[in-house]
Amino acid sequence: MAEAATATGTAGAPDKSRRQRPAEFNVFIGLILIALVFEVLGWIFQGQSFLFNFQRLSIMVLQVSIVGIIAVGVTQVIITGGIDLSSGSLVGATAMIAMSLAQVSTHERAVFPALTDLPVIIPVAAGLICGLAAGLVNGALIAYTKIPPFIATLGMMVTARGFSKWYTKGQPISFPTEGFASIGAGMNPVLIFIIVAALFTLILRFTVYGRRTYAIGSNEQAARVSGINVEHHLMLVYAIAGGLAALAGIVLAARGLTAQAGAGVMYELDAIAMAVIGGTSLSGGRGSIIGTTLGMLIFGVIISGFTFLRLDAYYQEMIKGAIIVIAVVLDVYRQRMRGRS
Amino acid sequence: MKKIALAALATTMLTSGAMAETVGVSMALFDDNFLTVLRNGIEEYAGTLEGVEIQIEDAQNDVGKQLNQIQNFIASGVDAIVVNPVDTDATEAMSALADQAGIPLVYVNRQPVNLENLPDNQAFVASNEVDSGTLETKEVCRLLTEAGKTEANILVIMGELSNQAARQRTQDIHDVIATPECSFMKIVDEQTSNWQRTQAADLMTNWLSAGVAFDAVIANNDESAIGAIQAMKAAGVDMASVVVGGVDATQDALAAMQAGDLDVTVFQNAAAQGSGALDAALALARGEAVEREVWVPFELVTPANIGDYLSAN
Repeated sequence: MAEAATATGTAGAPDKSRRQRPAEFNVFIGLILIALVFEVLGWIFQGQSFLFNFQRLSIMVLQVSIVGIIAVGVTQVIITGGIDLSSGSLVGATAMIAMSLAQVSTHERAVFPALTDLPVIIPVAAGLICGLAAGLVNGALIAYTKIPPFIATLGMMVTARGFSKWYTKGQPISFPTEGFASIGAGMNPVLIFIIVAALFTLILRFTVYGRRTYAIGSNEQAARVSGINVEHHLMLVYAIAGGLAALAGIVLAARGLTAQAGAGVMYELDAIAMAVIGGTSLSGGRGSIIGTTLGMLIFGVIISGFTFLRLDAYYQEMIKGAIIVIAVVLDVYRQRMRGRS
Repeated sequence: MKKIALAALATTMLTSGAMAETVGVSMALFDDNFLTVLRNGIEEYAGTLEGVEIQIEDAQNDVGKQLNQIQNFIASGVDAIVVNPVDTDATEAMSALADQAGIPLVYVNRQPVNLENLPDNQAFVASNEVDSGTLETKEVCRLLTEAGKTEANILVIMGELSNQAARQRTQDIHDVIATPECSFMKIVDEQTSNWQRTQAADLMTNWLSAGVAFDAVIANNDESAIGAIQAMKAAGVDMASVVVGGVDATQDALAAMQAGDLDVTVFQNAAAQGSGALDAALALARGEAVEREVWVPFELVTPANIGDYLSAN
């Protein structure tokens, strides 16, 4: 009982008890186990190592880093007890906006022929500002009209997707300047993810912002009573999530050298799944960027592992879905055991 | 009411020659590059016709929404309906609705499941999907033969697994490889990129990291081919030693072809399908006979004839 009381008392805060391993530890073990399964299967079926291959290790991280950037924002939203369904659509919308201001003048069909060859800061700033603004709208709707986050961000999801279709009447936007393209070149998406993840790990752990985020998710009423301006804080959290979705959109456009109205479809669900696999509780108050990063890596290992084993494309999604559910079931089970002991 | 109806009837009879013909168009979705060109093809063609009004709706990839749109078109008394079906297996209900109302219906781009027993005043306008993958694979086969290959490993990048065009184009690849002159080609692996460029790039990098040796990449669409090219270039693969094929002849693909990276693509004349569908719909509305299947041919695009296509899409 005493244990349980401590667990609730420190809910969300980094677990300092020596007898209890941090939630991330189990996710880490899961990641290692999945990688080892592929390693063994690799030797059996492909006659080569899965893990000891630098190129493969790179792509494992690269292919999930863009959704990972979104997941950093989504994790914070989920910690407050909310959800953000709009991030995938915001990726599409902000990619379109940024790319339309990042085209080269040599391209004959630029969206804004008068606005080509601009310095890279302009498309990046335009994308980020739009993402922040959309997130701010999400946050304001949730904080002041009290509609559920699911509905508010669902509305933004539909609206933003509509915007990206309308923006060029469905036409893709391509041919960016070299400066813009360099944002997504090589392993830069991974680098950007690492910076973002490290930054928000520190912010969540050591700042007032972080403490308030966990406090609101653990018990909104208590947070309010203790003097936190819940409305302002929620707006900030959703704005950050929107801004990170925009960053992901910019990186995605720069990486593929194109922006398409359909870009980022389902990214929001992948990002939520990464956070949840990483131990973030959908009921709020618990979760960490490190956990989400591990969840992201599990996704990366699975995608690469499937291609490595040349698993039939028709089976891949079914197995991916099963892995998501199993990971969460194990986590819930672990939580219960902890509550009981 | 009766009076108004009579008056309306009289007006209709008096002015029938000059009356505007209305055609309702339900597109599967707006945010698809190809379907956008097709949609623009319908709009631009309608603009050149005297007295033809069109109303275009976005079904947002939702079968239910599309059925509602068709019912709304019927209720508002359009002269003909053009449908770009969301789900080609759900067309039976649409055909029945239009048939009961006696309004002509034309399916465009995606083949309805009930093609064989469409009512007389219904038709299907598209390009024959069998041609696209076949043209693409045959050209890849020709290039490999020309390069003197006696054995060639092929990687296949498929589109969305549930999509009819993706299934057909993949089948075409298999069919061409089954012919004696192309039997030296062997499919090493076949995976999906969901039509997406970045997913194709990731897929290719995963293949490269597994040390898969290949001579050609045959993708179901250009976006996937471009993704594969980007990944190969990033990994330092010599593009002259790999034959890459796609389908669609998008602007980006043509640029990749001009850069010497993409070797083959296939042009599907989206605008011609759009105008063809509108033509068929108007002809049916005037009681003229229209073939049940109207094929707009696919066209092979290579560095030799790329000039003809640079402003086509």
